[in-house]
Amino acid sequence: MSKNNDSVLVCENIGMQFGGLAAVRNFDISIPNRALYGLIGPNGAGKTTVFNIISGVLSPTAGRVKLFGEDITGLTPDEIAKRGVARTFQNIRLFRDLTVLDNVLVGHHLRRKATLGEALLALPRYRKEESGMMHTSRELLEAVGLKDVAHYRASALPYGQQRRLEIARALATKPKVLLLDEPAAGMNPAETEQLMQLILDIRDRFNLSILLIEHEMKVVMNICEHITVLDHGEIIAEGTPSEIQSNERVIKAYLGGGTIARH
Amino acid sequence: MTGNQSNNFMRKAVLAVAGLVLFYLCLYWINTQWDAYKVRILNLCAIYIGITLGLNLCNGFAGQFSLGIAGFMAVGAYTTALLTMSPQIKRAVYFIEPLISPLNSIQWGFLPSLIVAGLVSGLVGFAVGAPAIRFRDDYLGISTLGFAEIIRVVFTNTTHITNGALGLKGIPPHTNLYWSWTFALLCVFVMVRLTNSSYGRALKAIRDDEVAAEAMGVNLFYHKCLAFVVSATMAGIGGGLLGNLITTIDPNMFRFPLTFTVLMMAVLGGLGSITGSVISATVITIAMEALRVLEEPRVVLGIFLPGIPGMRMVVFSIALMLVILFYPKGFMGDRELGLDSFRNLAARFRRTFSHKQV
Repeated sequence: MSKNNDSVLVCENIGMQFGGLAAVRNFDISIPNRALYGLIGPNGAGKTTVFNIISGVLSPTAGRVKLFGEDITGLTPDEIAKRGVARTFQNIRLFRDLTVLDNVLVGHHLRRKATLGEALLALPRYRKEESGMMHTSRELLEAVGLKDVAHYRASALPYGQQRRLEIARALATKPKVLLLDEPAAGMNPAETEQLMQLILDIRDRFNLSILLIEHEMKVVMNICEHITVLDHGEIIAEGTPSEIQSNERVIKAYLGGGTIARH
Repeated sequence: MTGNQSNNFMRKAVLAVAGLVLFYLCLYWINTQWDAYKVRILNLCAIYIGITLGLNLCNGFAGQFSLGIAGFMAVGAYTTALLTMSPQIKRAVYFIEPLISPLNSIQWGFLPSLIVAGLVSGLVGFAVGAPAIRFRDDYLGISTLGFAEIIRVVFTNTTHITNGALGLKGIPPHTNLYWSWTFALLCVFVMVRLTNSSYGRALKAIRDDEVAAEAMGVNLFYHKCLAFVVSATMAGIGGGLLGNLITTIDPNMFRFPLTFTVLMMAVLGGLGSITGSVISATVITIAMEALRVLEEPRVVLGIFLPGIPGMRMVVFSIALMLVILFYPKGFMGDRELGLDSFRNLAARFRRTFSHKQV
């Protein structure tokens, strides 16, 4: 496979140094179009740091992030979102006091063409945009199964639905790359099952690439095509799920070193 | 569907026009029938409604805790006063240091003066907001509070423009019910449209979670500045109306207690509620006057009570504490009072009533 030509998102040699701590070192990844990639590793391995770098929350101390060949390193999160990278958060970050529908509508705001004046006077272009947004938002809510709770406050939703809402909100920005940070965290087996199906559906329906952080091995091993394993900020293994499952270093990183096992 | 929609639109438009006509007829009636004192209080109500809404946009809807509202009001009040005062009065008022030209020779109409006041305070709002919005929460509050104090100190010392601590006297009393209530209506209109538009949703998103809002493509700088500038503009025009209502302004009028008063109106009504702000600004403005009796000496049950200046504020502080205790989000929270809420109330009433019969 040619690595760089058909890749949507490429991280080249990313490094993130917090004072004396190297949270991420020499991180490379290249995600093709419509791919479903996984990023796993023990707690504190630097997975979320990678997400924060890609989405612009952090500016890496080394390396570059490229989206469709364009260098997006160091851009602000809203600019990166406009270029087509959307994300969810490990500790759910919904707009708590907005309704479910409004949460999704916020995701549309970045494509808004009508100016503030047009919005204040409700001129035709604004009204047309607004009804278009309303329509797609409802479609998105239907796609993640939240259509019936569209007018609830986001904070009133149960946990699993909040996670789905985060995904719908991210999709509203019309991303090319979707970063999911532990989408299955806190879900029961049935919910997890639904989530896996949802992720696969989303990829096919919206034609995007997904990078997924997950601790739930069932999810990662079943739906990811390619997995990158991080430990102490460094990539220790890469490959298909079956390759990863039999990888010595991965097992060691997760279960501890041989000395402890023998002890 | 489109026919239905345009029908609906027409009906709304007719209702709106009818409502406006009725409203201004009421104002006309009040203007001719009521005494000057009551008219003045009504004027103050309208002005505070506008300013409170402005503060609510910034502090309530966008969640940017700003305490600079008195500073913006001062900018607006001085701008309007300087533009509307006649050259003769200016010569008389500026007896220590003459007013610089060209300000000393111009006299504008009220409307252009108010517009300029709004623009100037909006500009100042941008100049203050742009650097200050890097701060969050209390730090933003402190820095904007500092700004308001700076404005006051600057106005006290630039004698050749503001006449310093002596203040301005003889400002033409242009403000009447029509001006002030048109201002209040415009503020309500802007707030309703803005907060229900996608720009308003973006502001609320920033309030709820800044990090997530930015990750969803909301430009934090633009939207925070938007809230700051609109808020400052409303405060500036309100300040201008206030100056031309009471005809005398000086820098000490625009100290922190003024910000506190407006903030109290917004908080009691509910940060994030337009109707809440309108109701609470009206009630508090009227209560401010009604409670003046507390500060007058009088005899209660044969005991002579001397008047204590400032008793009103004690009452308001206690009221604020009680409200925070029982309604932590203000009377309205972030809900709105509209026809729907009356309908819901009626429905609930009917339900309880029918239950009792069964």
